[in-house]
Amino acid sequence: MGILVPLYLAGLTALSLPLILHLVRRTPRGRQEFSSLMFLSPTPPRLTRRSRLDQILLLLLRLAALALVTLAFCRPFLREAASLSFADLTGKRLAILIDTSASMKRGDVWQQAIKAAEKQLDDLNPQDDVALFAFSDRLRTIIDFQKEGASPISDKPQVVRNRLKALQPDWGSTDLGTALVAVAGELDTASDVRQSPLEPQIVVISDFQSGSRIEALQSFEWPERVPVVTLRVSPTNTTNAHAQVLPAEEGNELADVRVRVVNAADSRGDQFTVEWSEFVVSPSGGKATNRLKEGLRTDVYVPPGQTRIIRLPRGTDNLQADCIVLRGDDHDFDNTFFVVPPRKLEATLLYAGRDAAEDPEGLQLYLRLAVANDPLRQVEVRPLDATKSLTAPGDSIPEIIVVSQAVSEELRTALTKFVEQGGVLLLVPDGDEAATSVSLFFDDVEFTRAAAETVGAGESRREKYLLLGEIDFTHPLFAPFAGPRYSDFTKIHFWKYRPVTLKSPATTRVVARFDNGDPALLERSVGKGRVLALTSGWQPEDSQLALSSKFVPLVGALLDLACGGTEVAESVAVGQPVPLFSSRRAEDVSPPSESSQKSNENVLGGLTPSARQSSGHIVQTPDGREVRLAADVSSFTETDRPGIYRAKVDSTETRFAVNLSASESLTAPLDLEQLEQRGVRIGTEQTRTQRIDRVRQQRDTELESRQKVWRWLIVVALGLLVMETWWAGRAERKITA
Amino acid sequence: MKLEALTPARSRASYIDPAALMRIKNLELRAKLVVDGFLSGLHRSPYHGFSVEFTEYRQYSPGDDLRFLDWRLFARSDRFYLKRFEDETNLRCYLLVDLSRSMGFHSTPLEYDKAEYAKTVAATIAYFLTLQRDAVGLITFDQAIREYLPARYRTGHLHRLMICLEHELAGTATDLGLPLEQVARTARKRGVVVLLSDMLAPVEVLETKLGYLRSQGHEVVVIRILDPSEVSFQFQDESMFFDLESGRELYVDPHAARAGYQERFTDHAKALARVCSGLGVDVYDLTTDGPLDLALFDLLNSRIRRGRQVSRRRRV
Repeated sequence: MGILVPLYLAGLTALSLPLILHLVRRTPRGRQEFSSLMFLSPTPPRLTRRSRLDQILLLLLRLAALALVTLAFCRPFLREAASLSFADLTGKRLAILIDTSASMKRGDVWQQAIKAAEKQLDDLNPQDDVALFAFSDRLRTIIDFQKEGASPISDKPQVVRNRLKALQPDWGSTDLGTALVAVAGELDTASDVRQSPLEPQIVVISDFQSGSRIEALQSFEWPERVPVVTLRVSPTNTTNAHAQVLPAEEGNELADVRVRVVNAADSRGDQFTVEWSEFVVSPSGGKATNRLKEGLRTDVYVPPGQTRIIRLPRGTDNLQADCIVLRGDDHDFDNTFFVVPPRKLEATLLYAGRDAAEDPEGLQLYLRLAVANDPLRQVEVRPLDATKSLTAPGDSIPEIIVVSQAVSEELRTALTKFVEQGGVLLLVPDGDEAATSVSLFFDDVEFTRAAAETVGAGESRREKYLLLGEIDFTHPLFAPFAGPRYSDFTKIHFWKYRPVTLKSPATTRVVARFDNGDPALLERSVGKGRVLALTSGWQPEDSQLALSSKFVPLVGALLDLACGGTEVAESVAVGQPVPLFSSRRAEDVSPPSESSQKSNENVLGGLTPSARQSSGHIVQTPDGREVRLAADVSSFTETDRPGIYRAKVDSTETRFAVNLSASESLTAPLDLEQLEQRGVRIGTEQTRTQRIDRVRQQRDTELESRQKVWRWLIVVALGLLVMETWWAGRAERKITA
Repeated sequence: MKLEALTPARSRASYIDPAALMRIKNLELRAKLVVDGFLSGLHRSPYHGFSVEFTEYRQYSPGDDLRFLDWRLFARSDRFYLKRFEDETNLRCYLLVDLSRSMGFHSTPLEYDKAEYAKTVAATIAYFLTLQRDAVGLITFDQAIREYLPARYRTGHLHRLMICLEHELAGTATDLGLPLEQVARTARKRGVVVLLSDMLAPVEVLETKLGYLRSQGHEVVVIRILDPSEVSFQFQDESMFFDLESGRELYVDPHAARAGYQERFTDHAKALARVCSGLGVDVYDLTTDGPLDLALFDLLNSRIRRGRQVSRRRRV
């Protein structure tokens, strides 16, 4: 005999009602006020006798009827089977999804997660199937479900347990949405295809930090039969903040670095310190350590859930500091932010001209002055020795060659090769002879006259001059002047130029023209490089260009054109691919020398595609490991930990910083209702006993609905009530009689 | 309502029963003994003094007050005579009204309790005596004395007396001795003391106090006011009986308890009657269901008859 709804047994308390009613009749009905009780005496003996129950049979009938009705509400049934065992349970297909993102490195969170997973495994039945997935920014299948037709793995929970022990949190961010979508989709289709009786279920063990990405759930229709049980693991100390270097402001690369400090919403602390540090990899490949820079720390106050941006002075020896370290919070995993320090670019400029280096009437002096104090570059200006090869052994390979004199045939060949390999050649003819050599490189350009056209000379220079009338500001050379504040070139007067005409169709591009329509600057692409030609010089005899404020930026733009920009590469997040570029240097210009160490910081914005004859890439990871990649691989994907990576192609080393995703540091707990709002069916965790109870209850309900004992109970109760009515009427008649 | 409009006293206090008053208006509350008061020849007074009513001349003897010497007679006859007047002392009546909680009882058909009945009796007597130009005093009491108004005959006194009667019932017991003591202590002249109470208290204490009053020459009338159910105990259903004074509760089956109650009640009445008769105190029983006018009429009538008997006896 079993009872389906034991709660209704509380209705048995109603049995006291008839009892009370039978007794209530015996107590005095009312209260009589009287002036004085001095003449009265109590009458107790009659009271006790009358408090006894009479009409016992009536009472019993009423009690029985009430009890039967109560019992009917309890839905009793006759139990057939004795009891259920765990083997009677339907199996389940359990996907354990464990978060291995970087935030799981906090405190004892990972140990908690492992314990939670092991508890799930302990609760499995032999008929259950289990799979283990790990996810951070991508989903990894550690152990898959039982494949159809494949031989079952013996003691699968134990295998899963062993693999679980080997798991460690990595440095990835948390993409909860994608992981859930993938596993739910797999479970759903597997149940569909196999018509499996196993109940699918996903158990997610994670810290559910608010930086978890769940956008993928938005566009996914969650399968109704796949419930998700969320097991949250959280550390005891919740203070967590992280610092992130912001991109430098345009044109102000060397100012103090701006650092954004974000404090998690559930933090308890609000006082942090940010300082520069140097990331040191021990030569043996052991653990990397931070060497702190003394005296470069900045205190910052950030209330929980808020963000502050501070300026962090780099100090004098800023070249070496390559990471900032935040102190003052409970968790270290996100406290280091790596940044590749901007380095001075070393470049070589070859000058071929007749003027001396100190000649104020010549071109070279102004060129040297223009590149001398460039904070971003270390430019070496060397005279070009036409008799030698372009580079002597031991000398650095030039990025740019400026020629103002006439060019011999050999030199022309060498220069053409140089340009074809990607070099930049600027021709500034200072004489009629030199002007003819311009035609060697620009075959579609014709000099109208052999001699230079002089617009104004002597006293007439004040009135007669040429201006730059038409400038292509989209050209890299003039791009820095594109803004209206800088685009005024009318202060630069030109008095002497060489008028040229372009044959049509011309492949030469006119970058700037004088106001009379004659070309001022010509450009032509040759191979990978380009040749530029000025029809006027910058020396004071020809024009005011060298003395104008535009000259230094113009030379800077020319150097940028030749050897790339100097901006610091923005860091990428862990797991994101980094494009790889090879050196554009080739052996044809000059045999490579071991000592010609060139750095090319422009990893991301490189100008040239991969080299032709590169032997392959070697990328050194922050932990000292070296990854060799084939030459045709265009990007490096194994950015699996934060730090400074060094990519080597041939002799060129490129450095790039990989950092933890900023979202991973938002460690405040995620509101799980957000998952439900995106359609995820949140289930509850049920132990084996609870599941058995549920199954038992289902069986009981079925049994009860088959037997329907309650109907008979109601019938009997009605019968009893009829009897009671008859008996009560009879008793009353007897009393009145 | 008609009577109310006719009676001027109704405006002063509600306790005066106009019906009763109309009926007793022609009666007099006479003192049994002639010594107490004097009004319009009703009460002969033993005192002589300076007043409007001349009685006689007396020859002067040395030591007499010269104020009373009749100088005109001396001028005419050259003899010293004193002029004597009758004293203006009136009847002094003290109304002792029991306002304990037990007086708040009334049985079902009646809409007023014993206290209201007693107050009406007291007010009516007071007004009646005022009409007679007698001095009336009032003492209300329960287990203590609540209000005390000395016996006076002056304007506004009746109004004050009515206000004193207005007070709520209080007290958890009845002490019948206290008001009697108070009268004995404060009343210098003899008067009539009317005790209005249900007398639901031990009577033993009454004996000494009444005796003391009597010895001072006061005339005492006890008017015992009772609810009809107190007399007959005609309750039907068994219930918890609640003592209005002490708050005690008792389960009583009236059928079983009636005989015992009546026996004890009669014993108490007998004891009271014995004490009073021994001291020459009259006891009148008024039940609240009886019309007040009739009851008062009978009461005064019987006193008049008794008074005549006394005077007749005296004359004999």
